[in-house]
Amino acid sequence: MLVISDLSARVAGKEILNGVNLEVNAGEVHAIMGPNGSGKSTLAQVLAGREDYEVTKGSVTFEGRDLLAMRAEERARAGLFLGFQYPVEIPGVNNVYLLKAALNAKRKAAGEPEVDAYEFLALIRQKMKFMQMSESFLTRGVNEGFSGGEKKRNEVLQMLVLEPKLAILDETDSGLDIDALKVVSTGVNSLRDPKRAVVLVTHYQRLLDYVIPDQVHVLSGGRIVKSGDKSLAQELERRGYDWVMGAQVA
Amino acid sequence: MSAALRSFEAQWRARSTDALQPIREQAMQRFLKLGLPTPRDETWRYTDLRSVAAQSFEAAPCEARGAIDPHASLSLVTPELGAATVVMINGCPSLKANTSAINGIEISSIKELSRLDPKSMARFFPPATDADQRRWVLLNTALFIDGLHLKITRQVAEPLVILHVSTGERADEAAHPRIIIDAAPGSSATIIEHHIAHGDIAPLNNSNTHISLARDARLEHYRVYATGAGASHIDSLDIHQAHGSHCKQFTIALGGGLVRSSLEAHLNASGASLDSYSLLVGHADRHVDCVNIVTHAAPDTRSRQTARAIASDVSRVIFNSKVIVNAGAVHSDSQQSSRGLLLSPSAEIDTRPQLEIHADEVKCAHGATTGRLDPDMLFYLLSRGLDRETAQSLLVFAFLADVLTGMSVSSARSAIENALISQLPDSQILRKFR
Repeated sequence: MLVISDLSARVAGKEILNGVNLEVNAGEVHAIMGPNGSGKSTLAQVLAGREDYEVTKGSVTFEGRDLLAMRAEERARAGLFLGFQYPVEIPGVNNVYLLKAALNAKRKAAGEPEVDAYEFLALIRQKMKFMQMSESFLTRGVNEGFSGGEKKRNEVLQMLVLEPKLAILDETDSGLDIDALKVVSTGVNSLRDPKRAVVLVTHYQRLLDYVIPDQVHVLSGGRIVKSGDKSLAQELERRGYDWVMGAQVA
Repeated sequence: MSAALRSFEAQWRARSTDALQPIREQAMQRFLKLGLPTPRDETWRYTDLRSVAAQSFEAAPCEARGAIDPHASLSLVTPELGAATVVMINGCPSLKANTSAINGIEISSIKELSRLDPKSMARFFPPATDADQRRWVLLNTALFIDGLHLKITRQVAEPLVILHVSTGERADEAAHPRIIIDAAPGSSATIIEHHIAHGDIAPLNNSNTHISLARDARLEHYRVYATGAGASHIDSLDIHQAHGSHCKQFTIALGGGLVRSSLEAHLNASGASLDSYSLLVGHADRHVDCVNIVTHAAPDTRSRQTARAIASDVSRVIFNSKVIVNAGAVHSDSQQSSRGLLLSPSAEIDTRPQLEIHADEVKCAHGATTGRLDPDMLFYLLSRGLDRETAQSLLVFAFLADVLTGMSVSSARSAIENALISQLPDSQILRKFR
């Protein structure tokens, strides 16, 4: 589904990604771990199409299409979803309005009719209940005045409504208490499907207790230095990132 | 002496005297002595009126050619609202006999009232001063033909609309509309001044509104500039507030080629409170210069100024606000928030919040920012699949929400929103999402 080959990228003139190789197939959940500053978030943003991040080398294909040639909004409509590490607050733009506009943009791209207003509201209420979100969410601005945990729930809610083929979740677990972590994990697991894939970007192993990955990769210095199964995450937790980085030097 | 000054002096000499003659005389003499303001004057540094000064003006006629349709350009109230409308054509009120009292508002001609009781009118004409922001007010006082005096006597639910119609056949005409709003103790009302143009040519408009709020009076006041691109508008608003009174004021610049809009508020007794909202939209080559001066003249007074400026194309928008806290006005509480949004590289926004504090124990805050659309917000919306035009329009609209949501007259709000949207890029897309 997603094939990243030798991807390098620069942010504000600084080389952050240095030849990333990764292949994610439908039905799989991959975890990308790594120390702070290793390029995890940059990789997520580059895949979602952030324009001020400059790709200097390599290629990315998504379902056989050249992802890097597509604009951010085209990637979203093609079924790629980024859950932001720091979701931005947009006062004055209503949450539900954004969700509806996003869903309709996707449906339009797929040649489907716009969603019926009544059906849409029923869908939102059902997903909100699943994510244990309060009704007040319906009338608020996008992420406006939300706590850190509420913002992350909102990201997962958007993902559930949009039903992406590939979800990239950038530290969706950070800043969550254990109850919120369980809710978010249940949301992610509900999306697991033989036709979909999930990439979890995370600093800690604890999310992976709830969302079991098929593969774990360690990103360091802008490239993947080690890959393995879920036991790699546990080993990292035990031995720390220095272990992998030391192994790399050796 | 400039051509404009000479022509105004000629008009002054040609007119017949009336009951306000001493007040007019004082104003005209001061105006002739000081002349028209120039960019060297403090509150005029952003607006150069040289082209106006070079013209010779004649008094604009009191009649319009053809029938005036009150719903012609931008109707601010729906018929169901039961709002009364009073029409002023080039500053001349068209009052019908027997309809002078509507819903607790007594509507009279200033000229008529001053003939009956010149002394009682004098309090609505502040003494002539050298202050440069009041230069055109002096001229208005000297030359206004007649005006409306609105006495609010009780709590009135329905809004009253004053439709200012600018109309003419020649560009070298000038009109001086004058409005006095006098709110009795404990009264409340909503008054909407709506400036529109009839026909393609509009005279130079030099309007003044004087608001006096007695103890515990409440007023929601709108002034909406919706004239055409060729119109020049110099408008001033004076607000004098007594104990416990509250004024909510909206200044909306949606039209005109050159708009100079000033507000001077005097919070004269404790408990007086002002909420001023300014929505300044620069479009095409429009020039909008908004000057607010709020004086806290008594303890425990409160003011809030919220300004949102948007400039596209090659337009220029200025928001120049000042809060003055007089000596002794302790526990004054003021906030100035101005934000500007530039939508084109050739547009310009200048904001200049100022504070002048002569008392201790006051709470005065100000903040001003100007920039382009936030790239993080834009990327967030794009990453959800919204197309670029929709995402940009949504963010522009969201930027204005702080001012729009304060409006109590929902029909006015939606009419203003509609007019606003039509001046924003990608208006067709935005319209369908409202």
